[in-house]
Amino acid sequence: MAGEGKNKNKREEYKQSLKEGDAALPQKKFYRQRAHANPFSDHALTYPKSPTDMNWATHYPAYALSKKEEAGDEAQGSGAQNPKAITQPVEIADIGCGFGGLLFALAPNFPDKLIIGMEIRTSVTEYVQEKIRALRTQAASTTTNQPTYQNIACLRANTMKFLPNFFARGQLSKIFLCFPDPHFKQRKHKARIVSYTLNSEYAYVLRPGGIVYTITDVEDLHNWMVGHFEKHPSFERVGEEEQEEDVCVGVMRMETEEGKKVTRNGGVKYVACFRRLEDPPWP
Amino acid sequence: MAHPYQCILASNAGSLDEFNWTLIGASGPKLVVQSCSGARSTWPKEKEEIAENGQGDEPNGPPGKRLKLSPPEEKAPNFSTMVMSNDSQYLVAITGEDKCIRVFQIDSDCQLQQLSQRCMPRRPSAITLTSDDSTILVADKFGDVYALPLLPSPGEERNAIPTAEPSEAVTEKKFTPAASVLTVHSGRNRKVLEEQMKQAASLPPKPKETMKFKHDLLLGHVSMLTDVIYTTVESPVEGGKPRGYILTSDRDEHIRLSRGPPQAHIIEGFCHGHEQFVSRLCLTKSGLLVSGGGDTDLFVWDWLNSRFLETLSIRDPVFDFLKTNKFESNLPDDKAHFNIAVSGIWNLPNKDSEFDEILVACEGIPALFHFKVTGGKAASSLSHVIAVNANALGVAFIQPRESALQMIVSVDNVHKPASTTELRDEEHASRLQYFSYSQAGGWSSQAGYHKQESDSEVGMEGARKGGDEKAARDILYNVEVLRKRPGAED
Ligand SMILES: C[S@@+](CC[C@H](N)C(=O)[O-])C[C@H]1O[C@@H](n2cnc3c(N)ncnc32)[C@H](O)[C@@H]1O
Repeated sequence: MAGEGKNKNKREEYKQSLKEGDAALPQKKFYRQRAHANPFSDHALTYPKSPTDMNWATHYPAYALSKKEEAGDEAQGSGAQNPKAITQPVEIADIGCGFGGLLFALAPNFPDKLIIGMEIRTSVTEYVQEKIRALRTQAASTTTNQPTYQNIACLRANTMKFLPNFFARGQLSKIFLCFPDPHFKQRKHKARIVSYTLNSEYAYVLRPGGIVYTITDVEDLHNWMVGHFEKHPSFERVGEEEQEEDVCVGVMRMETEEGKKVTRNGGVKYVACFRRLEDPPWP
Repeated sequence: MAHPYQCILASNAGSLDEFNWTLIGASGPKLVVQSCSGARSTWPKEKEEIAENGQGDEPNGPPGKRLKLSPPEEKAPNFSTMVMSNDSQYLVAITGEDKCIRVFQIDSDCQLQQLSQRCMPRRPSAITLTSDDSTILVADKFGDVYALPLLPSPGEERNAIPTAEPSEAVTEKKFTPAASVLTVHSGRNRKVLEEQMKQAASLPPKPKETMKFKHDLLLGHVSMLTDVIYTTVESPVEGGKPRGYILTSDRDEHIRLSRGPPQAHIIEGFCHGHEQFVSRLCLTKSGLLVSGGGDTDLFVWDWLNSRFLETLSIRDPVFDFLKTNKFESNLPDDKAHFNIAVSGIWNLPNKDSEFDEILVACEGIPALFHFKVTGGKAASSLSHVIAVNANALGVAFIQPRESALQMIVSVDNVHKPASTTELRDEEHASRLQYFSYSQAGGWSSQAGYHKQESDSEVGMEGARKGGDEKAARDILYNVEVLRKRPGAED
């Protein structure tokens, strides 16, 4: 389409104009993208062969191991030789992070944890990356006690296929699944980001005691997610009281882009959290 | 001209006290059984077909006539994969087009009796049995693995065909639009909702999707599954029961290790390292895992610890073989541009060797590659390259007597060697080739058992029928197509 081509050009021009060290926030309008990406197709994705191949240092430069070495720190373990490695593992993942509202809100809440947003749509990912870059630049030029945004990052990934390429067993303590695409049609239910079989992968990357947070405004999808997690022996639902005391639940309700939209429209938000249980002994 | 045996297997290779063997081949939609006693049979019974097709298909047609690979008989579904129970009593075979799992009893006189036929909602791509033969594990093209009892308990429907799609784990109530007016919608979702509301107003609810036989969803990848293995390992805990494991491989480079039922929801690890699709998994005698697919190398794993041990180049010996033997027409000058697709890895049931030994076949290659595998303890190496008369399709081993090892190779008698598309010119090419093995002398070609029967009687889909060559080819060659094409949608 001619119109699309023109838009594309404008976008490219705009993105070219962004410079390293620029403190201006990116404009969302240049990053909008078709709402759905097909999780089954072969996207031109890049992903690490295994968690140890992942170049985390480019995403969290302030935590890069090599940097610490230069600063004269004692190098420890073989990881120190690896320029891709960072000083601590990523622990919190926002899956399908969209424009990143949750990430930016979580950053100051968990200043000592590394948080990653994962998003399948290229432009949307770029937007979040640009915004992180800009916020880091802004923070660097102020001396007040502001969040540095060095602990959040965003990468493009199809998490339904490649989650275990990024995270080792038991690496994560929290996974967020906020306002997942509902895929209303029955035929497309396998495209849902929660299912009995995918829950095994969430269980694999979560440590025992870790939590999966879900929120949606589609009641049917809520029931679906609750059903599929409750059926899975590796999870138990977190009780209402504990749920409401968790700061993450509040953040998830108020700070996600979708959460804000639902608030504006006076819609209902359904929350459910699930705890990763210890694996049972072998039979 | 007969359809090649797209799969072949044998029972009892190497079992110590028992030198009886049974060989089963699948030729298009037909199964052929043969035993060491000389008994043989086909399934389905072929009387009428012989009467019908007996002529016009004989080897004495016009010489040099270009042969065509005919599509399989009528619409009978073709066998795509099969496995024999550990006790050699049952054959479990998949027919592709109807997505069916068929269980056969193998009678003492070599007759096959179909006991059940269970059609799955998605096309099965690989099957195996648990060590106790109680359960079939079926991996499908949609990424799921189901467990089905080998023998459905009485009272269950045996020939069940699903009415529609599978029921998902959570039952859907009566049809109600999934979104409410309060839901925030993208344009697309809004359209779907509108459609649903219209539908709800006009249509009765769709029948619930079911498979009318016992089946448990064990695990799933979001990728096409290519192979599945079940194995047990001694418990590391004193007095503990043996532990069952499921290994699954997919088109997205993954090899996953899960616990066996009833804990198949627990993932124990991944063997990370492949950069292309993984198409075949093989456990060696000593318990190492060898995997192969679209990569230039085979990978060897200490799978229980998700530990990579070594790679074995497979592309290079294949390339060299083609070059040396002047199969150069489809060969790029530069090795780096040469793709191979591993279509078979077999553990050699060779008791005399202290090391693991495997045979490897690649799609469209008229040779088998015999490796010694040490898992890094000593130098692993390519021991033999066994040239065969046509593209190797399948391999079965039999042990006709103490410390004798023989191999039957099914070959593509239809296409030219080293091509998956060009048809052969010559009229009569054998579908099976026989080899015997000795530790000292390697492989030597042999005359077959009851050889006269192997080419004439069975699977006489005549060349004259013409028709859909491609469909017929897909039965033989379906691995290289798993390779991802760069530049797919964004
Ligand atoms: C409705 S949006 C919600 C965005 C954000 N979590 C929020 O609450 O505002 C769902 C997001 O999930 C992303 N997504 C869908 N499937 C995905 C997959 N397989 N891997 C990664 N992201 C995915 C979509 O591109 C979309 O941005």
